[in-house]
Amino acid sequence: MKKKIIASLILTLAIPAFAQQKPEEPPPRWLQGRSEADAKSTLHPFNPKLTGADISELQISKLKLPAGFSINVWAEVPNARSLARGSKGTIFVSNLAANDVYAVVEKDGKREVKKILKGLTAPNGIAFLDGTLYVAERTQIKKYENIEDRLDNPPEGVLVVDGLDPTNGPGHFWKYLTVGPDKKLYFNIGSPQNITIPNYVQGAIMRVDPKNGRLERYATGVRNSVGMDFHPVSKKMWFTEHGRDWMGDDKPEDELNVVTKEGENFGYPFCHQGDIPDPQYGKYASCDQFTPPALKLGAHVAPLGLHFYTGTQFPAEYKNSLFIARHGSWNRSTKQGYDVMRVTLDAKGKVTKYEPFLTGFLFDEKGDPPMWGRPVDLLVMPDGAMLVSDDYNGIIYRVSYKKP
Amino acid sequence: MFTFLHQNITTSTIVGVVFLCFSTNNYAANIEAGKAKAQTCIACHGPNGNSIISEFPSLSGQPAQAISTALYRYREGNRKNPIMSPIAAELTNADMNNLAAYFSAEKRTSTHITSAQNVSLGPELANKYNCTQCHGPQMLGLQHIPRIAGQQHQYLIMQLRGFKAQTRSDMDGNMSSAASALTDADIVILSDYIAGLADRPTAKNE
Repeated sequence: MKKKIIASLILTLAIPAFAQQKPEEPPPRWLQGRSEADAKSTLHPFNPKLTGADISELQISKLKLPAGFSINVWAEVPNARSLARGSKGTIFVSNLAANDVYAVVEKDGKREVKKILKGLTAPNGIAFLDGTLYVAERTQIKKYENIEDRLDNPPEGVLVVDGLDPTNGPGHFWKYLTVGPDKKLYFNIGSPQNITIPNYVQGAIMRVDPKNGRLERYATGVRNSVGMDFHPVSKKMWFTEHGRDWMGDDKPEDELNVVTKEGENFGYPFCHQGDIPDPQYGKYASCDQFTPPALKLGAHVAPLGLHFYTGTQFPAEYKNSLFIARHGSWNRSTKQGYDVMRVTLDAKGKVTKYEPFLTGFLFDEKGDPPMWGRPVDLLVMPDGAMLVSDDYNGIIYRVSYKKP
Repeated sequence: MFTFLHQNITTSTIVGVVFLCFSTNNYAANIEAGKAKAQTCIACHGPNGNSIISEFPSLSGQPAQAISTALYRYREGNRKNPIMSPIAAELTNADMNNLAAYFSAEKRTSTHITSAQNVSLGPELANKYNCTQCHGPQMLGLQHIPRIAGQQHQYLIMQLRGFKAQTRSDMDGNMSSAASALTDADIVILSDYIAGLADRPTAKNE
């Protein structure tokens, strides 16, 4: 009942907004907020190759890792985005551009890739909890119970919550989805544009209790987060956040944030990277009203998946290290990112180190395209190896460690 | 698991080594295999992918990724068409990459003659409605975004009307958004202008 009330409340709010929706800014959506000074800019986003790359095209030998680590191709899944593991060992893989969800299973020593759900709308977010797969699409989250027993004949999805794209805006409609220590589902509702004042549930990290559909706003002032994880010890949520575009090559930096109390505000659209007031909206607030990032990650690096390393295969010093997949910059004349970084924290949760872990996807920082692959999400496997998805090529890599 | 990977690597290494020399952009896809597979396509899309039927699009000179993306979307049901959907259903990703490599390497020609009036009106409209923002200053396409310069006249009109009516499948909402601002008169002018933006075919091609 509660679920229905909340869902219909959101819908009621959403319908007038949708009906009035007029394109305020000309397309494409990624141009929104570009200043006159940048009018001649040729910068543009990079799109994935949906038909995948031929494995011979992948420059695996160019990839660099610390000594003892190695990387190989683990599976081919079109537009591979988010990764989630079922309790029976199925690896679920979402995509964004192709509207499907895949399952990777090992059977008789062979790995098999199956499309289990199709015809969804931007199903970027997936999470697994107590036998059930949850999928976050553009406007809704649906659940698929006992999915691992029914991969060849998956059930119809059952609605958990909808109304999650309240203004049908052109930007940041894809969701990241993860499960908290409280067994609730956490996800983003991104800002509907590059830079705008979002409504109450936009520019936020939300959570929903899958048992009753109760929806809460967990954090706000978050332009768009496509990566969240909970610290294995402190249980606090850490998340990545993309800064706005069209403020120059070096501003603002993308953020690594940590939530210390519910409802915390991280500044968007008024303040970026904790200390730069927005040129347009900064005058309405002061940066000191907001929680600054735990770490500035670099301008336009597009941090996506982040995961604490909880396995035992990597050297002991990697325990509880935070890995961050950086999808890579487009809104920057000299490209950066396209890698996996490692962050270490001290006992108080303060960042002590930020260093490259997996690099070599970027081959020409002035090129178009500048990269041959783009890391998206990470998953620590039971054996301690780490999977890395690459949506540009539709590939999942496996990073493993062996004492040199 | 090793069997799975090993086979893939072996096959693709052979393909890569043999055909890399035909490739112009490090695209290991196989142009010759694409050309062989293209015999079905040219029945509608014309010799070398230069359509001679105004309702059917030319494929020549398209960015490879635009062709493979369109085929993928047909096969996966994201874009539907009674002719293209069943054809794409039979294609593997490798087929799509090969077809894309073949057609992208062919030269685009157009027999369309734009009216003098639209030659002068077109550029301003193309700029005003942001066509050039994604399709490029010469509208030659980029990555997954198709080349529209020299595209078939009726095809352009049909697509723009479809985007405006939101009946044409849209990858990311940008085209529906762009077309929502167009009047039908603009659609006719733009299509006439853009269709003429290519070299005339040589006598041999005609």
